[in-house]
Amino acid sequence: MSAPPLTVTVTVDGAPVEVPAGATVLDAARAAGSWVPTLCFDERQAPFGACRACLVGVEGAAAPLPACTTPCRDGMVIDTEDPAGRRVAHAVVELVLSELPQPPAAHTELAQVAQRLGVGAPRWPGETHAPAPADTRHPYLAFQHELCISCGRCVRACDEVQGTFALTATGRGFDANIAAGLDEGFRDSACVACGACADSCPTDAITEVSLLALTSAADATNGGPA
Amino acid sequence: MSDERFASTVTTTCGYCGVGCRLEAHVRDDRVASISPALDGPANEGHTCLKGRFAHQFSRRRDRLATPLIRDARGGELRRASWEEALERIASELGRIRAAHGPDAIAGLASSRATNEDCYAMQRLMRAAIGTNNIDNCSRVCHSPTSYALRRSLGLSGATGSFADFDHADATILIGANPTEGHPVVGARIKQATLRGMKLVTIDPRRIELADYGVLHLAPRPGTNAAIMLGIAHVLERDGFVNRAFIDERTDGWDAFAELLPAYAPEAVARIAAVPAADLERAAHVYGEAADACISWGLGVTEHKYGSEVAQLICDVALMTGKIGRPGSALLPLRGQNNVQGSSDMGALPDTYTAYRSVTDEAVARSFEDAWGVPLSRREGWTIPQMFDAAVAGELRAMYIFGEDVAQTDPNTAHVVHAMESLDFLVVQEIFENETTKYADVILPASSFLEKGGTFTNAERRVQLVAPAIDPPGEARTDFEIIALVSRALGHELPWATPADAMDEIAVLTPDWAGISHARLGRRGLQWPVAPDGTDAPILYEREFSRPGGRAHFAALPYKAPGDAADEQFPLILVTGRRLQHYNAGTMTRRTGNVELMDADVLEIHPDDAARLWISNGDRISVRSRVGRIELPAQVTDHIEPGHVFTTFHFPETRTNLLIGASADVNTSCPEYKVVAVDVRPLGEEPARTPALASGT
Repeated sequence: MSAPPLTVTVTVDGAPVEVPAGATVLDAARAAGSWVPTLCFDERQAPFGACRACLVGVEGAAAPLPACTTPCRDGMVIDTEDPAGRRVAHAVVELVLSELPQPPAAHTELAQVAQRLGVGAPRWPGETHAPAPADTRHPYLAFQHELCISCGRCVRACDEVQGTFALTATGRGFDANIAAGLDEGFRDSACVACGACADSCPTDAITEVSLLALTSAADATNGGPA
Repeated sequence: MSDERFASTVTTTCGYCGVGCRLEAHVRDDRVASISPALDGPANEGHTCLKGRFAHQFSRRRDRLATPLIRDARGGELRRASWEEALERIASELGRIRAAHGPDAIAGLASSRATNEDCYAMQRLMRAAIGTNNIDNCSRVCHSPTSYALRRSLGLSGATGSFADFDHADATILIGANPTEGHPVVGARIKQATLRGMKLVTIDPRRIELADYGVLHLAPRPGTNAAIMLGIAHVLERDGFVNRAFIDERTDGWDAFAELLPAYAPEAVARIAAVPAADLERAAHVYGEAADACISWGLGVTEHKYGSEVAQLICDVALMTGKIGRPGSALLPLRGQNNVQGSSDMGALPDTYTAYRSVTDEAVARSFEDAWGVPLSRREGWTIPQMFDAAVAGELRAMYIFGEDVAQTDPNTAHVVHAMESLDFLVVQEIFENETTKYADVILPASSFLEKGGTFTNAERRVQLVAPAIDPPGEARTDFEIIALVSRALGHELPWATPADAMDEIAVLTPDWAGISHARLGRRGLQWPVAPDGTDAPILYEREFSRPGGRAHFAALPYKAPGDAADEQFPLILVTGRRLQHYNAGTMTRRTGNVELMDADVLEIHPDDAARLWISNGDRISVRSRVGRIELPAQVTDHIEPGHVFTTFHFPETRTNLLIGASADVNTSCPEYKVVAVDVRPLGEEPARTPALASGT
């Protein structure tokens, strides 16, 4: 019933790569072993294209394109280290960090992307998410609202991976955040405690209650992230 | 990606349900600090559930069994013992009983929670060291009817495809299963498939969560699944969905089956099953009109008096439409426990060696005699229920039970306890004291799935590696080591240093497993049958069935009434099952944060029944069956039909299985957990003061 699999060939950073038709530029870059920074991307979810950290150069394109949502065309020439794309990625990550009252823990995806891009302490001090104690009303899942970067991965994990639709984005600006149900917390919402949200979260805004203590201990031994 | 929070990370396979999620277990300070899903797990694709991800703290609970325990006299106090003393006691007692009463006075239970290698070792111990085929495992009380049916109808005892078939199916019939609670990761997968457009028909006495994602929900009377499947077959035949070419080329027995169908017109089935005739027609059309469709089922099909017959009728429906043996068209039984498939595959059954080859088959028996160097019995052993009967009758004198809490989970609890008390000697190998260890003379401290190596086989026939993340606590040992120690004490040396060595022996002695070795399984496992060159089988029966002549068999089986029925005295029908937060006897999950999310069994009852019986939500109520009585809180909900009630058996203080009688599947003796007539009333109301009311259906 299904047609034979078709492939397209693109060039990533000078090397040819064959990928299935319908693959994205990000798929091709990963197949080629090239690193592309991402924040809102999770391979278990449909590409979202919100964070703009994954901009890459495509020959003939007027501006860098988001790798996660751009489909490969046969013969496409891709530069994952396009200077303009990287400048944007750097600025995006720096802006995201500037909104947090404290740097993300070293093991988090955000910290690792920042480190790899060479983003240090943000140059824009000022308003941040209001620091708040962790919400640990659930036996396993903890909210640290101050660390939310509104990437939407937890919401999509709940929708697209688990299918429980318990999480939702709320608020605007510095109040932008995530709520379980009508903000009644994980325990009293429709949450089934599958943990897919915590697994996807790139900042530990949603994490495991039992890991909260470990995270601070580990960061203390490392002298904490920059 | 290194993570500064953890000392090590081990990829293993989940030890809860039969989905077989691949997990990353992160360890710190010799305990599991966190578990996350393996992104490349073929069954879970980077997902897992409340149990697999979070319910691991039981592994370091202080009440873990950490030394052998002995009772000097039956009914006496337990005291700590050394391994040497425990093994010596086992060897002398079992030796004495065998000498006095023969090897068939001893029986063993392997565990569907344990690895393939553990189960293989256990059946070898019973057969070679003791000399009996009295070996069974807990698949007896869950999916033995599925195994029986698939073998009779199609040839092999396993799902015909993989969970990935849900992603390719245009429609699915889900009957007698509640996967968003029992198999949550498959539940999520089915849900996602429906959101992409797969048409789902759910058939269950309760309005399960997935019913809201389907195109149609049928709520039949418990025990009438056979009528439902025959009714669907009737409509498929009547409305031209029969695949004649497939029937002619690849099956036999169609004519006899077709002769049954005129009696199951939708109106007739509606009378038997209390399902609207139009819904039955629509269900058949959803399945018939789909280019590719799956049928998936759980214990709501099997745990009935005629469960094995219903499973055969499910095969009939797939065969008559030719919807089998290709991507998106599969029969996918949702096997209950993590290794319920493998424990049976391994020959931990009273009638078969590995891969379901009969103990009476001379050539097969000889191959095992040659390998093990001992003569083997050709006499089939007892099933679990038969063992209990034999114990009460004085024919069975000793049992060696590992990884099954029979006194909480098996039906007819009072009878099970009587059996335990009747034994001269009982060895229990466990991770915690439980209801069954109360009757043990020797308790051996064993290991959980986080502490052992080997393989589990999931509901897709996928054999996957299990790797130890942490050490067993104290003096506890892995089940594999313990069984080897006991076997040696009994005079039969198991010649393997590691579980991988045992798998090599399994591969040599089992054609369908010939290509399996631990080295070859890798991160994604292999789906048996596996050819010597390592080629596995995600889809069975693409060209031919594994039966004589390569042809599948239509079973012509009429509907028969279940073993129990509502009457004046017991007007409601009780169905038992499971909830998301807990796992079966709850031995593990009750020792985790999951109890904060659910801390008691409750009885679901329809608002109409509740109002009639003067029961309010949360009231403690009495539930009485023909064999027993329990008390628990009521939960008033319209997720259940009037006339039916539902509860779980997760908490020992409830002892739900006191209510379950001796009725069992006619072919496999799988207990009829799903149809029990009960009387429900507020606590303290004597039956004489509140005459039972006829049920509303």
